[in-house]
Amino acid sequence: MAMGWRSLCLGLWGAMLLISFSTGRLNLLVRAPFHGAIVVTGVLLLGLAILDWRGRPSRTAPRRREAASWLLAALVAIAMVLIPPQPSFSDLAANRSGEPLAPEELSFVLPPAQRTLTDWVRLLVLEPDPRLYEGDPVRIQGFVLPMPDGPPQLARLLVRCCIADATPIALPVRWPQSSPPPQADQWLAIEGVMGVETRAGQVRSMVIPSRIVPIARPARPFEA
Amino acid sequence: MARGPAGKAVIGVDKLGTMWAVFQGLMIEALPFLVIGVVIASLARWLSPGGRWLQRLPAHPLLGPLTGAALGFALPACECGNVPVARRLLAGGAPLATALGFLFAAPVLNPIVLASTWAAFPDQPWLLAARPLGALAIALVLTLLLRLLPEQDLLTSELLAERRLNQPLAEVSLLQRGSGLLGQRLPGPGAGQRLPAVEALGHGVREFLNLAALLVLGCAIAAMVQTLLPRSWLLAVGDAPTLSILSLMLLAVVVSVCSSVDAFLALAFAAHVTPGALLAFLLLGPVIDLKSLSLFGLLLRPRALGLTVASTALVVLLIGQWINLWKL
Repeated sequence: MAMGWRSLCLGLWGAMLLISFSTGRLNLLVRAPFHGAIVVTGVLLLGLAILDWRGRPSRTAPRRREAASWLLAALVAIAMVLIPPQPSFSDLAANRSGEPLAPEELSFVLPPAQRTLTDWVRLLVLEPDPRLYEGDPVRIQGFVLPMPDGPPQLARLLVRCCIADATPIALPVRWPQSSPPPQADQWLAIEGVMGVETRAGQVRSMVIPSRIVPIARPARPFEA
Repeated sequence: MARGPAGKAVIGVDKLGTMWAVFQGLMIEALPFLVIGVVIASLARWLSPGGRWLQRLPAHPLLGPLTGAALGFALPACECGNVPVARRLLAGGAPLATALGFLFAAPVLNPIVLASTWAAFPDQPWLLAARPLGALAIALVLTLLLRLLPEQDLLTSELLAERRLNQPLAEVSLLQRGSGLLGQRLPGPGAGQRLPAVEALGHGVREFLNLAALLVLGCAIAAMVQTLLPRSWLLAVGDAPTLSILSLMLLAVVVSVCSSVDAFLALAFAAHVTPGALLAFLLLGPVIDLKSLSLFGLLLRPRALGLTVASTALVVLLIGQWINLWKL
């Protein structure tokens, strides 16, 4: 009995990893290059669970504390299957603010209309003079991030490994006066041009939208 | 922090959802490493049941930790994966000096972590040298200190019982061993007898589930603290030499990311903190964080765990200060 219970717990963890992958939830939790290792781990755990279940019954039953640990492990695996992750991106970003993007060498510069929000922020870190980009066409996607000291910005989260190391980057947007302010976490596709604004004595680039379209959260919402 | 229409902080469904996602991310990211560690430990247990080669590892207070650290190159695993391997070393009767050296140094002194540090900071060669050297210094200090404790105050009772069974009779008495002529034989492999594969598998499965349950607790605490504590508070003191080191140390404990990727995370704020603080982040995280602390519960008693945390923090702070004096 103890043997079956132990194998079931292990199998649940393997199944949880494979379900997270097959339902696309993994895209919300861990960056794509790590997905292969996670799938292999899921298959390995399921295989080991089957081998363990088919093996001889264990002569030593788990002690009470060990049984409690396995119960906890099993319940958590079931909860991870039943309750999908629903992170608030603006909540994640707000708790990780104040970390400007470290500049990266750009081996080439894309035409303005093809730059993603991340490309724009990297470019502005490398060459911050806003007048260089004034009038350039902009087509970007991101989520609405409320700012403590100004209007909301359009943001993305950069993730190196998993959601725990998410770091936000954002661009200021001149939101149209005629429409209500955008809702936090709403994903938007914005087309427009890059403009210049002076804020608190500093000149900076900002997006002047000509078209704002609400979109669904992308299947792979993180950038690297 | 997400705010409601009236500007009040919302600690409700949004925050819970974020916490749950961070928890899942931390758990799922750690599981492959944990499985690698348990598989290596189980294979070692199965292939070398008596662990005789383990007992021949050096017990010298300096040579032991250096050998343990060097094992990191042969068994590349981050801090989640090296706990089961270190447990196998200790249970197999390996000298404390080598096993503890491996436990504390291997999460940094392995090819994957060194390569990722180099990839993240190619223009800072001092960091590529200082990280492994610092990790080695921490491992040496911790090993020297922890060896002062009697083994029964250092290791958990279950681990100690298994270790006694595998230690040579010259080192432990029959009474301590709980086997042989006196006392009842403990469950576990007899010296030199290879277990059937299914028994070895069963042992590995038990170990994985026990570690996974501990990992659940560690990740739950890390996810809660990460979601509720704005990181800007921790990074607000970037320029102050000592405070920046302390704040980055706290960040390393809270973030709990694997040592194989923490250099990329550090890249995001490297330009805004002191060099000593940057190194402190890269040194402390692989040894002490909320996730690994829970796993250490399978090896060390609370007193030894407290000593580990306090001494690691002190050594890292001193190294960070010294780097700041040199680089600033």
